[in-house]
Amino acid sequence: MPLSTQSQAGDEQYVLVASLDNVRNLSNILKAITFREHAIFNATKNGLKVTVEDSKCLQANAFIQADIFQEFTIKEDSVGFQVNLTVLLDCLTIFGGSTVPGVSTALKMCYNGYGYPLTLFLEEGGVVTVCKINTQEPEEPLDFDFCSTNVTNKVILQSDSLKEAFSELDMTSEILQITMSPSQPYFRLSTFGNSGNAHYDYPKDSDMMELFQCTKTQTNRYKMSLLKPSTKALALSCKVSVRTDSRGFLSLQYLVRNDEGQICFVEYYCCPDEEVEEE
Amino acid sequence: MRCIIEGNGVKVFGKALHALSRIGEDIWLDPMKRGFAVRSVNTAHSAYACFLFSPLFFQHYSLELQTDCGAVKCRLALKSVLPLFRCLATIERSVDRCEISFNVSENRVMFQFYCRHGITKTHNLGYQECEALQAVFPTHLCPNVLKAQAKLLGGIVMHFPVSQQEITLSISPQRANFKNYCDEECDHVNSVHTEISLHPNEFDYYQVGVDSDITFCLKELRGLLSFADSHALPVSVHFGASGKPVSFSVEDMLLEASVVLATLVDPDLTEPCQADPTARHCTMRSGGEGHLAAPSQNEGRLEANVANAAPQQSGVSTHERVPSSQSSPVFSPAFHMRRLMELREAGRPRDEPRVTQDLGQALPTPITPATYKIRSLLFGAVSCEQRGDCDVELPSLVCGSDTEDDGGEGEGVKMQH
Repeated sequence: MPLSTQSQAGDEQYVLVASLDNVRNLSNILKAITFREHAIFNATKNGLKVTVEDSKCLQANAFIQADIFQEFTIKEDSVGFQVNLTVLLDCLTIFGGSTVPGVSTALKMCYNGYGYPLTLFLEEGGVVTVCKINTQEPEEPLDFDFCSTNVTNKVILQSDSLKEAFSELDMTSEILQITMSPSQPYFRLSTFGNSGNAHYDYPKDSDMMELFQCTKTQTNRYKMSLLKPSTKALALSCKVSVRTDSRGFLSLQYLVRNDEGQICFVEYYCCPDEEVEEE
Repeated sequence: MRCIIEGNGVKVFGKALHALSRIGEDIWLDPMKRGFAVRSVNTAHSAYACFLFSPLFFQHYSLELQTDCGAVKCRLALKSVLPLFRCLATIERSVDRCEISFNVSENRVMFQFYCRHGITKTHNLGYQECEALQAVFPTHLCPNVLKAQAKLLGGIVMHFPVSQQEITLSISPQRANFKNYCDEECDHVNSVHTEISLHPNEFDYYQVGVDSDITFCLKELRGLLSFADSHALPVSVHFGASGKPVSFSVEDMLLEASVVLATLVDPDLTEPCQADPTARHCTMRSGGEGHLAAPSQNEGRLEANVANAAPQQSGVSTHERVPSSQSSPVFSPAFHMRRLMELREAGRPRDEPRVTQDLGQALPTPITPATYKIRSLLFGAVSCEQRGDCDVELPSLVCGSDTEDDGGEGEGVKMQH
């Protein structure tokens, strides 16, 4: 394999080496969280977690498990760095990100430890590109303290039913209101825009609803501008889990199937906007 | 007021809205006893369209007017309605039922879509209360009537580039010609001239009362043609001399739709007729006699007539083109128009003068002020280009529209020159 000959320096010096036969399995999922330049990477022996945050109110995490990679070697318990995500994506798709079957770009991603650049070896059709991206001081990701024991309401929907709703959402509305309730309207998305309001209601017995566990009626508002980036993840996903906790924090978990049929997750956390006054 | 559309009807309704979106920025929803009318007019008021869905179109149709509120007077921005009917290709499969209901006291109209998988989408849109929009254009008085399959007209229009603003339809008992219109500024060297000539046999119905050349905007027509084409409906065209409106309409058991467009006044033909109003009337009468299409021996004369169409030719054959356009309605003497009212929205955008001028010729029948209800409006038929020697007050194509910002509400305002 050409990639291995490129790194004659020996893999021993690297604290992290991850190889993929098809770089799209990484680039696609990173695109689903690209709404800010900077991404915090955290690798453990379980895999790679990439975090992007906005305004201290929104956090997106992409999880790529170790077994998605053909090789995943890590010498420390945890390796963290921060890179410019746009630059990284440009590099990963440097061969054009072809979707032609049978043509794929192979990747070997190496990191030498604190202070070193992230090195990418990309190969397609015998052509190898080496990219070095300077790493930045990793910031501490926000802890949304969203734990499953505090979850009041949870639904799992097939993504197709939400894709339509999100593509039609009235973007003149500043907020998206999510109502989850054990009684009607069960699961409702509402917008309040210039020309009026709109409600999308999903009954709990809809065949799009895979799971419905609502214990208490909750109505929370989230900034549309914050939720908008999550539609990228929605578009890739086949299922989505929508959860709210007792504080009204929102967790959206997207199950994404890659080209090989393997499963990855993308997760969005979002703070509620403000208390709904009329209730 | 409440109505329910099921199945394929949702797509038809959506298609109608898309056709209306070619016309104007707002739509008027007008539920009436004889059906649900959806109308639109462009900002220059040179194009108007109306879709009337009969009560049979709906699964359920009830007016239930609140006693205190009277009729629904609803104007909505198309940009807020159109997104609800965006994916027409899939709407048939995804939406089982659409319910439209009005809340008159809150000025809200509710569109409720019952979709597959039990999903319900409810859109509450606030509307602007305003008088119904209504066009007055008695098509049965038009001397020229064509009827053709939408495919035929669509096929003709297809040959004109999307950028083509206006096309000219020239009609005689022998031929119907469609060609692209070029005004004086138009670069004759670099533009493509397209002309399509059709034999009367191509049409389902072909009646020529007056030979005429009418020039109208293509953009506003395309919506109706594609609507008619998708439902394989024949399109009727009613018109008279140039400068008077042309109406394109389709109808079937469940709906009627029409687009009324202003036509251009040919400046070459305008001047002589203004110089001599008496002669003009003679010519008009001769032209207005009307005849059905028939094989004619006079085919060769056609071209010559264009150039020398002078008002004094009162003895011309019925094949003669009517030279007049400016203020020469076939049926109505000019003085009837003089007293027509006009209520114009303050600050309404004016189109180019020549188009608004055409609108002045919109009414082919004598209409006195009494014909109009006070609330009616006439479209802006004022032209800065209007010549001083023409003292005819121009009536307009369409009446109706909102009056809330108009100081002249309740009384007719004379048109200015």
